[in-house]
Amino acid sequence: MTRVLGASWALPILDHRNRAFFTSGVLTLQRCRGCGHVQHPPEDVCEACQGQDFDGFESAGKGCIESVAVAHHPVHPALADQVPYAIVLVSVADAPGILIAGNVVGTDPGDVRIGDRVGVVFEAATDPDSGETLKIPQWEILR
Amino acid sequence: MHGASAISGIGESTYYARGESPHTEFQLACIAIQRAVEDAGIDLADVDGFVSYTDQRNLPTRLARALGVRELRWAASTWPGGGNSVAAAVQLADAAVSAGYARNVIVFRALAQGQFGRFGQAGGTGAGGDGLAMAGIFAWGGTYGLLTPAQQCALRMARFMHDHGISQEALCDVTLACYANAQRNPRALRHGKPLTREEYHASRWIVTPFHLHDCCPENDGAAACVVTTAERARDLRHPPACILAAAQGNGPGFGIFDQRNLASSHYEQVSAHLWKDAGLRPEDVDVAQFYENFSGLVLIALCEMGFASPDGVEAFVSNGALEGPNAAFPFNTSGGNIGEAYIHGFQLINESVRQIRGKSTCQVNDVERALVVGGPGYAPGSAVLFGTAG
Repeated sequence: MTRVLGASWALPILDHRNRAFFTSGVLTLQRCRGCGHVQHPPEDVCEACQGQDFDGFESAGKGCIESVAVAHHPVHPALADQVPYAIVLVSVADAPGILIAGNVVGTDPGDVRIGDRVGVVFEAATDPDSGETLKIPQWEILR
Repeated sequence: MHGASAISGIGESTYYARGESPHTEFQLACIAIQRAVEDAGIDLADVDGFVSYTDQRNLPTRLARALGVRELRWAASTWPGGGNSVAAAVQLADAAVSAGYARNVIVFRALAQGQFGRFGQAGGTGAGGDGLAMAGIFAWGGTYGLLTPAQQCALRMARFMHDHGISQEALCDVTLACYANAQRNPRALRHGKPLTREEYHASRWIVTPFHLHDCCPENDGAAACVVTTAERARDLRHPPACILAAAQGNGPGFGIFDQRNLASSHYEQVSAHLWKDAGLRPEDVDVAQFYENFSGLVLIALCEMGFASPDGVEAFVSNGALEGPNAAFPFNTSGGNIGEAYIHGFQLINESVRQIRGKSTCQVNDVERALVVGGPGYAPGSAVLFGTAG
């Protein structure tokens, strides 16, 4: 799947906290090894038990749009051909309390609604510096 | 303790469109501080403290040297953030003066975006090939084109509007009030440039639900005040604006990736502490200034500060309820960020002092208490309540 915001849009710079999220092809969230708490974005310390050891929780990637804003003004020149695009915050059923940012695939931005049920999909990209393959989580509305 | 300190002087530079200041940012800061000190009727040499907020570039040591300060005793600032900290900066000065650490503390904000670039602009952590680098915390939103404060606040606003049946007209009412009040204020950059409801709705979308006119302009300028003891302020040139209470805070949780805070302005804790510490209630306030980088979040802040209910806030702001000196709820009487100038909210502090003195260009009758609520949607939020008597 091609990228929602275009091939030229900046890619995430991979690090130990975000590598699984952006490359695994599974919606992978940070989970505390000590207490099992899932938090997002990842942090150095667990907000529930203050533990410092983490692994990845593989979410089924089924959730709900909790908010949507349609960007019309391109805040960067590389987005000039991409507006309008929908920015969404999604909750996932198996990791309650957290919200994940994304875009919506296959639906006009103006037709995205709060409360829409969504499933995760992945857009492919190649990091031009490392050659690493990215699989960036995005969202598809389930009708 | 409360009411132990007061604002004795206020000053500001001329306000300019972004990049049009003929002065450097440091010069703007000095102009505003000199005018505040002159307004207080004290000597520059007797200033002994400087407080600002949010990455202020004009350092206290540099200011103290340039302004001929005899002895610097208090230099403090809030953490990085945004306009959320405007009232917290006044709180830092209040703390210093009330505790006796300093006697004449300047609180100020200066910005010259022509000199230093835009505040709150789209971006990641710095230099990529195209000027963007979605590293660290920026990766989680920036990868998806979620880059700016406007977009973050839009996501909060969209959810609040959805949950409580708020229409676009409520956002328009906030914007129109700022424009209407700016027409009375010759300092205001929107003075002589009124806005109609039709023009509001015809303006382009920046990010739904914010039209162009929901977003405050970007400006250059500086504003400053002098905080001293209320006892000393009573012997100076103007009636003191006593600091009745100030609060900052948030929690639990923070930010738009936390479902608990999505439709929040981060002001529930500030509200609880401010009213408790002041021993007052929202209905005791005569005039209020609410930081509006984006019009709509004022609606959330009005609710969290206790002035309206979420389901009633649209009616609370409608039918001109915020416009003019005789408004049902006198609000942003100098024009606010949208109408007067975006000096990261510091002009709201000075306007409150003018209301307490009876000297606003949109003067409300018999003002005894004036409220400033800082920037909504980022944290920790802050608010300060001024009174004619401590």
